[in-house]
Amino acid sequence: MESLLELKDVSIDFQSKRKSFNIIKNINLKIDRKMKYGIVGESGSGKSLTSLAVMNLLSDNLSIGQGEIILRTEEEKVLNHLSKKAMRDVRGEDIAMIFQEPMTALDPLYTIEYQIIEVLKYHRKMSKKEMREKAIAMLTSVGISRPEKIMDDYPHQLSGGMRQRVMIAMALITEPKLLIADEPTTALDVTIQAQILDLMNDLTEEHGTSILMITHDLGVILETCDRVAVMYAGQVVEESTVKNVFDNPQHPYTQGLLKSIKTLGDRSEKLYSIPGNVPTPDEYQELGCRFATRCPFAFDKCFSEEPPAFQVGADQTSKCWLHDEEANPNE
Amino acid sequence: MIIPVLFGVSVVIFFTLRVIPGDVAQTILGTSATEESLAALRNKFGLNMPLYEQYFTWMSGVLVGDFGVSMRTGAEILPEILSRFAITFELTILAAFISWIIAIPLGIIAGVKRNTKTDFSVRIISLLGVSVPNFALATILILVLSLSFNYSPPVGYVGFFEDPVKNLQILFLPAFVLGTGMAGAVMRMTRSSILEILRQDFIRTVRAKGVRERVVIFNHAFKNALIPILTIIGMQIGVLLGGTVIIEQIFSLPGLGQMVLTGINQRDFTVVQGAILFIAFVFVLINLLVDLLYSYLDPRISYK
Ligand SMILES: Nc1ncnc2c1ncn2[C@@H]1O[C@H](COP(=O)(O)OP(=O)(O)OP(=O)(O)O)[C@@H](O)[C@H]1O
Ligand code: SF4
Ligand SMILES: [Mg+2]
Repeated sequence: MESLLELKDVSIDFQSKRKSFNIIKNINLKIDRKMKYGIVGESGSGKSLTSLAVMNLLSDNLSIGQGEIILRTEEEKVLNHLSKKAMRDVRGEDIAMIFQEPMTALDPLYTIEYQIIEVLKYHRKMSKKEMREKAIAMLTSVGISRPEKIMDDYPHQLSGGMRQRVMIAMALITEPKLLIADEPTTALDVTIQAQILDLMNDLTEEHGTSILMITHDLGVILETCDRVAVMYAGQVVEESTVKNVFDNPQHPYTQGLLKSIKTLGDRSEKLYSIPGNVPTPDEYQELGCRFATRCPFAFDKCFSEEPPAFQVGADQTSKCWLHDEEANPNE
Repeated sequence: MIIPVLFGVSVVIFFTLRVIPGDVAQTILGTSATEESLAALRNKFGLNMPLYEQYFTWMSGVLVGDFGVSMRTGAEILPEILSRFAITFELTILAAFISWIIAIPLGIIAGVKRNTKTDFSVRIISLLGVSVPNFALATILILVLSLSFNYSPPVGYVGFFEDPVKNLQILFLPAFVLGTGMAGAVMRMTRSSILEILRQDFIRTVRAKGVRERVVIFNHAFKNALIPILTIIGMQIGVLLGGTVIIEQIFSLPGLGQMVLTGINQRDFTVVQGAILFIAFVFVLINLLVDLLYSYLDPRISYK
């Protein structure tokens, strides 16, 4: 079966009057129906931009330079070539999105009812009464105990966890095929984080919704996802099942990431962190591997030529010259 | 809030007027006045009493709606204030409407299409609006209109209920001049708040729902931007309702501004203190209204 969402060689560029540079380079992803797919990476690696590109919500100074974002529902659509109107029909209907900051993600001037119903207004032909009933049912299913009361509340009257529940209700009310969640739990208390993740898991399983989970937290990936793409400096450096990536990481960056969380639980060792800083887009090297400046294994070729994504094992790719037998100095 | 503010204003205006050097009775009656007539005037207005006693006499009148009579003409002050306020009020409302019609659509367009040619042009227009002084614009307009269209500034004022067409003809030009002056600031504020709001997360949420861009701009961005815009508009209206001396002068409108100016020139203290207290009252009232509008617009603000 063909995948639900496919990113083919997608690049995102930044343009201003003074300068322009590439931020996201040649991203390839395939998300199947009902799959829970994770993107993990440090702050600034381009996770949010990738998800915003799918929704066609990039700000004006950013644009998809090349590649195709393909959505396969009843028909096949190339999202980055759709008209504005056609794209609006995809947003909220086929793909819904929730964001990191539940505090600022809702309009402070409108009631919860208004904001939930707003989705239905544009995607369903329903009476006011039907919409209201559906919204109440949805709030109940995200675990809100007095939905009628919450409907009349304004966002500032709710806690962060409650708002995120409202966001989930709003996102899933049209039963979209794909839910994009950009750091949905990062801003929440630890106890509430687990509840929200469970809730998302249960609800999407119920409706067969795919998830694109974006996070910098490997723990969240381990708990919720089937497959994962590891991003670094605007590129996917490793991609496979969650099990493969955790048990058998192939890319030096993934290995470093895992090492830094494993030492976190183990007090005896000094906390490991990858030396150096994440480069900003204007610091990305034109040539070579974008991780070369921080990589403990870097050798000549890493600085002169960009590594392709090597197939390692049956179901795993890693963008690193170490997998190339001819190039690797150690083999 | 209102009571202490108005009390403060009354004290300040009353005592400041009394500090102006020169004998009031003498100024009003002229140098040829006899001793008896001077004494009679001083007696009538209690000018011989201690200052605080004069103040209390005045205030106890004001509190029951009696603003006293003019020192010079002997006419009741409050009816005069009200009839002049009617003119100022109409002028202000017209000017405000004109400024909104120009400023709000342009401000929104500039904010939405930031850094484009449209935005650039709007910013220039708004800069012109704020920086060209009203009196200059008024004079230029009158000159141009009279030279090329045989327009002549109206003499004498006609009330709206006497002859609405004539009344609007008279008020349109001064309202236009005031309105363009106000529009610059409103335009800027509209543009910058729209810009600011469009960057907010919740706008992205609304767009992610598949809502039409027009709805995003009006129902969400503009409604949120309205709060800071309201602040500026409230201030502008408050100031204009206090009278506009220069514009009233140029267009010979008998508004509040003129009343205060003549009052000061003639040392007609009862008129000046009455008018200024009234202006302060209106200003405070407008602020109150703006506060009420805030709490109506924004559920996070509750009016106490
Ligand atoms: N509108 C923009 N204009 C220019 N650069 C941008 C813009 N938005 C993001 N960037 C840059 O692109 C890079 C990727 O940003 P992105 O928001 O996708 O990171 P992220 O992986 O989501 O990180 P975080 O965990 O901090 O959310 C960052 O270096 C960021 O500074
Ligand atoms: S290509 Fe070279 S620099 Fe890049 S990750 Fe592999 S070894 Fe390190
Ligand atoms: Mg992000």
